Amino acid sequence: MFGEKVIELLKEAERNSDTIDLYNDEKIRQIIQEMHILFKMNMDDANATTENKSLWTTVQVRHSALERNKRCLLAYLYNRMNKIKTLRWEFGSVLPPDVRELLSDSEYEWFSKYSTNLASYMRSLGEDIGYSGIDLTENLRPPKSLYIEVLCVTDYGKLELEDGDVIMLKKNSRHYLPTEECQTLIRQGVLKQII
Amino acid sequence: MANSNYLSISDILVTNEKVPCKFLLDLPKMGFLDPSATENDLKAGTNIEIPLWLAESLYTRRPPLVSVDLPKIYKETYREILNADSCTVDMHKLGQHFYELGCYIAKHDIKGEVSSTLLNTFRQRFKMILSASVSTDSINSVQPLSMSERKRTEAAVVTERALSSWLKIGDCPLTTANMVANHRKRKRAEMELL
Repeated sequence: MFGEKVIELLKEAERNSDTIDLYNDEKIRQIIQEMHILFKMNMDDANATTENKSLWTTVQVRHSALERNKRCLLAYLYNRMNKIKTLRWEFGSVLPPDVRELLSDSEYEWFSKYSTNLASYMRSLGEDIGYSGIDLTENLRPPKSLYIEVLCVTDYGKLELEDGDVIMLKKNSRHYLPTEECQTLIRQGVLKQII
Repeated sequence: MANSNYLSISDILVTNEKVPCKFLLDLPKMGFLDPSATENDLKAGTNIEIPLWLAESLYTRRPPLVSVDLPKIYKETYREILNADSCTVDMHKLGQHFYELGCYIAKHDIKGEVSSTLLNTFRQRFKMILSASVSTDSINSVQPLSMSERKRTEAAVVTERALSSWLKIGDCPLTTANMVANHRKRKRAEMELL
């Protein structure tokens, strides 16, 4: 039956809709190969239709299968692209190595370009009124207070604050920090807000 | 193809559902579509089940290669059950994509009763979605729901929880980003497996 491999591929992607999976190079190669075979069979039969008119229907069935495979592959790539976009907003411009290796080479290239584009857009914001850009990934929620109490979840290391103080973020240590400086770390899962 | 869902994975999975079809023309070399066929060619007049995407695309050809029949859950007998009391039906077993597939199928129904059945079914089953979203026994109440109904339920649960935490605390604390948290969970699960 046509287009079964591609459905397996999409089901895999659908199952983990909140995380990104390893780019399935092997399966995509198989699907493209299937498409090449279909195309070749169609070319042969289309050339033969002059003698045998009834072959025309077969060509149409195969053509539908080709279009279907194309649609599924595009959908797979498109959905991954959207996830990669989310990665940039949630993980920041540097991906942790275990996430990085889930992307294919061209996807990583896309990620870097998207990241650069986003950064230069954010830098250009508010230039005309004297600001040097706004970080859009910050302040996704209106800040309720200037300082918040946070708990460190992982061993992060040293963090230098804007006033020059250096603090040590060790697992299970508690800190009282300016909201502005720790919200990125909260989003990246290093710190946790204590209420 | 005028289709706004071209890139949607869930729409692709819906169109992968099988529908019974009757072939109107001979198809040389396509015998493998019919699992019970022994010949190489598919003869006109054969009735087999093919995926909806294939059926749709062959139906729109000029002249049409197939005529599409209704899958059994949209037939008269099931329609009667659904119109009587659709809450008793286990949609997860009978039609995981009941509404979405129905929207595609409705135009092949000459009497035009499928569309009203769809609407009626949703109206009756809405209270199931509502009660499943506040139920504490989530496994049993979610079980008979179809795919899209489950999605609605999940969304309702999230909203409900956000609302009640806001009412209690009156503040929304900063939290870890969704994808970061999920990747971490998955990594932990993998570590435990090793």
